[in-house]
Amino acid sequence: MARPIHFDTVRKEYRTAGTTHVAVDGLSLSIPEGSFTTLVGPSGCGKTTTLRMIAGLETPTDGQIAFGEEEVTDQSPQDRNCAMVFQSIALYPHMSVRDNIGYGLKVQGVPKADRDDRIDEAAETLQITEQLEKMPAELSGGQQQRVAPGSAFVQDPDVLLLDEPMSDLDAKLKSELRVEVQRLHQELDATVVYVTHDQTEAMTMSDQVILLNEGRLAQFAPPGELFDAPVSKYVAEFIGTPSTNMLSATVERTDEGLALVGDGFEVTAPSDRFRDRVGESVVLGIRPQYLSTDGGRYGLVVTAEVVEQLGTEFVVHGHGPDGTPIDAVSSAFGDVDPGDRLAVGFDAEDLFVFGDDGRTICHGDALAADARSQPR
Amino acid sequence: MALGEGAAGSIVPQRFQARLKRAALVVVAALVAVFVTVPVYVMVAVAVQSPTAVFSGGDVNLIVESVTFRNFAVLFQETNTVRYFFNSLVVTASSTVLSTALAVGAGYGLTRFEFTGKTLAARVVLFAYMFSPIVLAIPLYVIFYTLGLLDSYFALTMALTAISAPFTIWLMWQYFQTVPIALEESAWVRGASRTRTIWEVVLPVARPGYISAAIFAFAVAWNDFTMSRVVMSSEEMYTITVGASLFLDRVSIGWGETMAVSLLICIPPFLIAVFLQNYLLQGFNVGGLE
Repeated sequence: MARPIHFDTVRKEYRTAGTTHVAVDGLSLSIPEGSFTTLVGPSGCGKTTTLRMIAGLETPTDGQIAFGEEEVTDQSPQDRNCAMVFQSIALYPHMSVRDNIGYGLKVQGVPKADRDDRIDEAAETLQITEQLEKMPAELSGGQQQRVAPGSAFVQDPDVLLLDEPMSDLDAKLKSELRVEVQRLHQELDATVVYVTHDQTEAMTMSDQVILLNEGRLAQFAPPGELFDAPVSKYVAEFIGTPSTNMLSATVERTDEGLALVGDGFEVTAPSDRFRDRVGESVVLGIRPQYLSTDGGRYGLVVTAEVVEQLGTEFVVHGHGPDGTPIDAVSSAFGDVDPGDRLAVGFDAEDLFVFGDDGRTICHGDALAADARSQPR
Repeated sequence: MALGEGAAGSIVPQRFQARLKRAALVVVAALVAVFVTVPVYVMVAVAVQSPTAVFSGGDVNLIVESVTFRNFAVLFQETNTVRYFFNSLVVTASSTVLSTALAVGAGYGLTRFEFTGKTLAARVVLFAYMFSPIVLAIPLYVIFYTLGLLDSYFALTMALTAISAPFTIWLMWQYFQTVPIALEESAWVRGASRTRTIWEVVLPVARPGYISAAIFAFAVAWNDFTMSRVVMSSEEMYTITVGASLFLDRVSIGWGETMAVSLLICIPPFLIAVFLQNYLLQGFNVGGLE
């Protein structure tokens, strides 16, 4: 039976020889029951530590973890009904695939006949029936990766934890397994927590994304919201490929009211939000996908440096007049050569505005609403 | 062109190098084979022929013409060989089991738990391995004398374990570092207790490691001379190595019988080498001793 997972100001420190390393710092959030939640972030941001605390393999230094009503902070991993797929796959080399999948059931004392039925069923779903009697060493990497979730499948866990299970796979296998994992989620009555550093996995598979930054929660939201309404510069830069362009600007008073003035553009700003910020410098974020050669109310000149083809689209890596790196994505960039100067435009509603501290001041819709209400 | 300059194969052609390498390999292998097999052959040849056949014509005759078990018969009738052999088996078996068990426990602990002084403990273990047995022999003699344990299987087992354990511990410590901890964690998450995990996951995975450790402990104990000589004082407690060395002093025992007992000493190591060689190589590879 799926259970929600609650974190209450969870902190994890590692002490080694006098130095304290804080892996997770004051994490408070609730993962809804039965959801597919992805923990994402750069290396060393504490996502695996968080996952291991859910499994009980690490004990928090401070704070509580609860599964539903039951507090599990100090429970041993054996007592929590979790299943975990490890990054290193962790198949027992001395057991056949069948025994590997059924080991958890064997520990729980499920009779052999019953065990075998459930293993056969799981194997069919994962399409590994032919591999059941083989030893792990006889399987290819991809086949092993398919076996690993099998044990989770037969065990009917409350919580299923996956620690970067696809990090070593090629793109084709990854996309196949992505579907497999989602199917696993649909068939199991379990709360799934998935750790990855690959934001494509995070964005495509999950109901909720937890983005961590050096042990702290950066944002906890559905993927769409993370993309469209980042709460900080960090979130906007981490989510989305290529990364969001950051243009520096200052809040200035003009004849028409307040404006965000940068190198070559002047974006009207709503006075209620920026009245107190006149003279401050801000950062405007604009996704490369929203820079277009045709249209856009505000213009930028980009000098192209490198052009990459991504299927039907082209990514131009370049820089603005003041040297700020700027990327732009469009299918119209096919004939751009390095060194070319492109005039690209953007609209106010696609912007994010970040303050000096990296927090979001407002999203584009607030700017655009204001711009519309003002006479041009 | 100075030495070491130029592309590979620019002075001596690649093809010639390859041939040279193969030829060198064959020559070295042949030399090693000769050095190793000739003494063994001499031992076998002397052991299975009667002394009259070996020394006929005033020369050592190493071409086996007739096979006889006369030397073995003399050994069994006139000496305590069976008793020595039995003693050796008892202390070797106990010491092998003890040393391996110690190594598995220590190796698991050193890799799976954090405690103060861990690195120091590991270094001490490796340092202890560098002692020659005779350095330990006298202190151990004093200890066993004080405890009144001299001339017992127990004392010799302990003494032999003291020689082999530093190396077996070090070997298992290295081996356990290669056993991914995720295997154990995955078992814990599935509900298996630590003890159960050790029996069903850790030990089976570590099998090549502890078989290597056991083989090493066996070799140390079986071939030991020093400790047995120091610890055992009565003749019926001697191990086969000490017992055989006494034969050389006896008038009634000649070369034939000595070589026969040598052949007997070789049998257990030979059997182990034959049946466990795969494990031996696997274990030592991990320990970095190829």
